[in-house]
Formats: sequence, structure tokens, C-alpha cells
Amino acid sequence: MAAVSVAHAFRRDRFGIVSLGVVGFFLLLSAAAPLVAALYGKNPTEHYGQNETGLLSPEGLPLLPNGGVSAQHWFGIEPGLGRDVLTQLLYGMRTSLLIALASAAVVAVIGVVVGVTVGYLSALVDRAFTFVCNVLLAFPALLFLITLGPVIQTRFVGPGEDEPAWMQFAVLILVFSAFGWVPLAMVLRTVVRSLREREFVEAARALGASRRHIVFRELLPNVWAPVLVHLTLAVPAMVTTEAALSFLGVGINEPIPDWGRMISRGSDVFYDDPTYMVFPGASLLVFVLAFNLLGDAVRDALDPHTVR
Amino acid sequence: MTRYLIKRVAQAVAVLLAISATAFGLFYAAPSDPALIACGPKCTSAQLAAVRTSMGLDQPIVSQFTDYVGGIVTGRTIADVDGTPIPCPAPCLGYSYSLHQPVLAAIEDRLPVTVSIAVGALAVILVLGVGSGLAAALRRGRATDRLLSGFNLLGASVQIYFLGYVLQLLLVYSTGLFAPPRYVPFTTQPAQWALGLLLPWLVLGFVNAAVYARLTRSQMLETMHHGYVRTARAKGLGTLRTHLKYTARGAAGPLVQLLGLEVGALLGGAFITETVFGLGGVGKLAVDAVNGNDLPTVVGTVLLAAFFVVVFVAVADLVVAWLDPRVRFA
Repeated sequence: MAAVSVAHAFRRDRFGIVSLGVVGFFLLLSAAAPLVAALYGKNPTEHYGQNETGLLSPEGLPLLPNGGVSAQHWFGIEPGLGRDVLTQLLYGMRTSLLIALASAAVVAVIGVVVGVTVGYLSALVDRAFTFVCNVLLAFPALLFLITLGPVIQTRFVGPGEDEPAWMQFAVLILVFSAFGWVPLAMVLRTVVRSLREREFVEAARALGASRRHIVFRELLPNVWAPVLVHLTLAVPAMVTTEAALSFLGVGINEPIPDWGRMISRGSDVFYDDPTYMVFPGASLLVFVLAFNLLGDAVRDALDPHTVR
Repeated sequence: MTRYLIKRVAQAVAVLLAISATAFGLFYAAPSDPALIACGPKCTSAQLAAVRTSMGLDQPIVSQFTDYVGGIVTGRTIADVDGTPIPCPAPCLGYSYSLHQPVLAAIEDRLPVTVSIAVGALAVILVLGVGSGLAAALRRGRATDRLLSGFNLLGASVQIYFLGYVLQLLLVYSTGLFAPPRYVPFTTQPAQWALGLLLPWLVLGFVNAAVYARLTRSQMLETMHHGYVRTARAKGLGTLRTHLKYTARGAAGPLVQLLGLEVGALLGGAFITETVFGLGGVGKLAVDAVNGNDLPTVVGTVLLAAFFVVVFVAVADLVVAWLDPRVRFA
């Protein structure tokens, strides 16, 4: 389908436009996090509550109502350590998005290459592929994600050492990619299996084109629509899984800001200071909602057959 | 049907073997010294050597794996850190050196909690997800449809680790409308059992229902336009009866498959729900085992979760084959 008509269909979708705006706003904020933090005059690591008097009670709870929301700290301060919530949220969003987008990129490459190739190749390859998919789908993915981090850590990091920041990111991106490519490849396999019977592929074959040419030049350009749909829905799923892992204590460690860990910390003090959990929780909800709406809008715009 | 059954069971066994090999390889072969992790930081070198022998770490990895799989089939005896032999009857999933009991026994203690959560959550998923999907399909394009899809989108976007706490604060802590989440055995106090788990059921069900609502709706709408549905209508059968009797059966395939996956996943442990509501099920056991570096328990819970998924996916496939002759004879 022509890109123009897709853009046209998308523009008519009010929810799609609004959600695109919200997602764009989040992306912009996380990209410009250092700039915003500089303008706002706070950073996510300084323990304001401990360094300045009048912010935290001796028990470590914010003295001001609503989690210490004030002109100084717009979203309040963290109980205990007394860090600024707004900057933590901003930088935490960078953590989530970096992991989700990097994983999505890897998933796209592996999923497309495997899906398109398997869809085009012989029945034997297809069987092997189906078996691998069955194994990976039956894997308790979340439990596996939970367990894999510490295992990799003990393998590469000596006892007593801290895991370097890049390795925490790399481990999460690696495990998300290892499971994430399967559904995409399965979708593409089905798409390609119907595409390969079409006239243009037959024509290329009749002209003596190599397998490589057919896969990469004829088939690949025709699968971008399902890939785009899959990725817009995969990114919020990865963001929430990453937050879930951090919530369970096996994601990104201190001092890197992270939404899931903020929620986890918030859950410890939830009945005394609910505000601290509401900010990351509500941000996550709005972000995921907007991304899901965007994914729906993209699918509706790309697929004229969607039953509405 | 018999041929299909045999084929499907063989496939399930092969998948399980592949998963256990992968899990075993990753968790036992990859870390630098599983014995050190199992034994803990206060371990003497003599104890460490004993654990290493007991875990079979002096053996080649292949024979370790065959021992492990053999233990699942026939049971075996494993020595504790201090050398006490512990009988581990089949199906032996290994021995936890930090819990000081066979992994299976630890799982058995907590399985009732997880099963209870799964049963209720599944009921909520069926009513809320499949029910609202049916309603939305039958009233397509009307206000009901749009209202339900909005509601489900919210469910798909909200997280248990946020919604669970907010509802606990609002409904339990502040107003007392719901009983505090806790587990009491069904056999002793069925009413308390249901009351204590009501909130976890609703939250877990609501969050998972959206996928089913959407799938039910699209499947129903797609099947509605088939010739056989029109024939049934043309013969004078009422709208509701046609759709519930004929359309629903034709539309059920993908739903049953997804439900199979869901049941398997739920039985393997609802990690987040159990953590949020403080319920000690298999999921909590697994998370604690990971955080406490208790490798045998980790591998055991991974295998159990995979086992449930494989079994229920296979069961779902059989149900689909029974529903749809095209699958059976393909």
C-alpha cells in the first residue's frame, strides 16, 4: 500500500493522532532529560532530603503533604533517600526507553531475517523452526527473564564486585531479544508463505533471480507493515516487562533511575506516602496506554481489512 | 484422532526435554560455581567439596543432566550440605540447600496458593474477557462496543504492580470494602478462601482479560460472515442462538489455544500478583529463590512452569482438534 494513503488513513484517526502526540512528548522528554533537569535545577542522584533540613521527617517520610510536592520539588521527594522525583522519573524513562527501543531494533532484525527466510525455504527448515518456536513459547519467559540476569551476573562478575551499568542494560536487551523475535518471525513466516505464491515472486524466479535476491529484494520490502505493527505493540510490552523485573528486584540496580524500582520502593512505604508510587505508576499507565492506542491506530491505518 | 494424539504427545515430550536441557545447561553450567552459591557465603571448604560431590559437579555435564532427568523419572538420594542423605522420590526436581528440603516438597507446599489464584483469575478472564468480547461483537459499533473496548484497553495498559497497591489502599486499607488479601485452604474455610483471594482474582483477571476480549470480538466478527452461519440464520434460527451455537464454535479455536497457554502460565506461578498481594505461592518461591541464589529451586520452578505450559498447550490443541475437524485431518 502506498505510504501516502496510509498517512491519510492515520490522520483521520483522532485517537491515533492524540496518542502519537503523547508518545512523541514522552520520547522528547526522555531525549531532553538532561536539558530539562538543568533548567529545573535538580538532578536524579542528589539526596536533597538528607542534605537539607525541613524536607524529611526523622522516619524518612516527606514532611510536606502529598509526598513533599512543593515549588522546589514539583513531584515531591523520595522517602528515605530524599531524591527529587521529577528528575528520577525523567531519567527513569530514558532507562526504560533505551532498553525497549534497543531490544525492538534487535527483535526487528532477527525476526525479519528468520521469518522471511523460513517462510521462503523448504518444509524441513520450517519444521525445525516450528519446533524451536514451540520450545521458546513454552519457556516460562518471565521466570526465565527473572533468573537469567543473576546467572549472567555470577558468570561474568566476580563476587563482591558491582555489575557495570552497561552490562545490566546488555543483559536485559539480550534476554528481551532472545524471546521477542519469536512472535514476529511467526507472523512474517505466514505472510511470506502467501507472498511467495504471488506473480511478482514467480516472475523473479522465472527471470532466474537467486534465492537471496528473492528473499531480500522481492519479499523483504513487502513485510514492513506487519513489522511496524508488531514493533509499536512490542515496545510498551518491553517497557512494562522491564519495569516488572525491576519491581521484582532483578532489573536495573541503583543508582540508575528506573520506574519499576521506584514503584517497588513506593510499595514499601505505600500506606504512609502513596504519592511516591503514584507518579511512576501513573506515568507508566499513560505511556503504555498511549503506545497501545498508537499501535492500534497504526494497524488500522495499514490494514484495510481490520474489522471495526 | 488417535494418530493426532500420539503425534501431539510425542511433540510435547520433545519440547519438555529441550527445555529441561536448556534450563539445566544455563543454570548449572553457566555460573562460575553453583556449589558456592548453593552452599552460601558461610560455607567451609569441606562442606563446599561435599556439596560439589552431592550436586554431581565433579561429573561431566552430560551425566549430570542424565542424573537429573533420571531423578525425575525414578527418584534418587541427594546428600545435604552436612552430608545427611536425603531421599528424593520421583519425580525428583533436585534438593534445595537453602530451604533444606527437596524442591518438589517446597513446591507442593505452595502449589495450592498458586492453583487457587489461577482458578479464580481464569474465571474472571472468562467472564470479563470472553464475555465482553461476545457482547462487543454482537453489539458491534454501538455504545456498548466502544465502552467495552475502552475498558479493556485500560486493563491492557495498567500494571498489576500499580493497580494492585492502589486498590489495596482504596478498597482494603482506607474503606475496608474488601477483606485483606490472604490465603486460607479451600477445604477448611471455603468462604474465607474466596473472600481473601477476591481482590487478587479481580486484578489479575482484569489485567489479562483485554487480550481475550479483543480476540473473541475479532474472531466472532470474522466467523459471522461465513456461509454456514448465514445458512443457519436463513433457516430461521434466532440471532443469539445462531451465534452462540454455530459462530462461537467456529470462532473458538484461537481462543482455546490462548487459554491453554494462559492456564499453563498461571499455574507456573503469578510472580507479580503473589508479590503484590503478599501471597506465598510458587511464583513467590521462584522470585525468592532467584534473589537468594537458590539454583536448584530456580531450575525446579522453571521446569514445573514449562511443564504446565506444555501440558496445557497440548490439551488446548486437542480441544481445538475436537472442535474443528479440519485440524484433526490435516
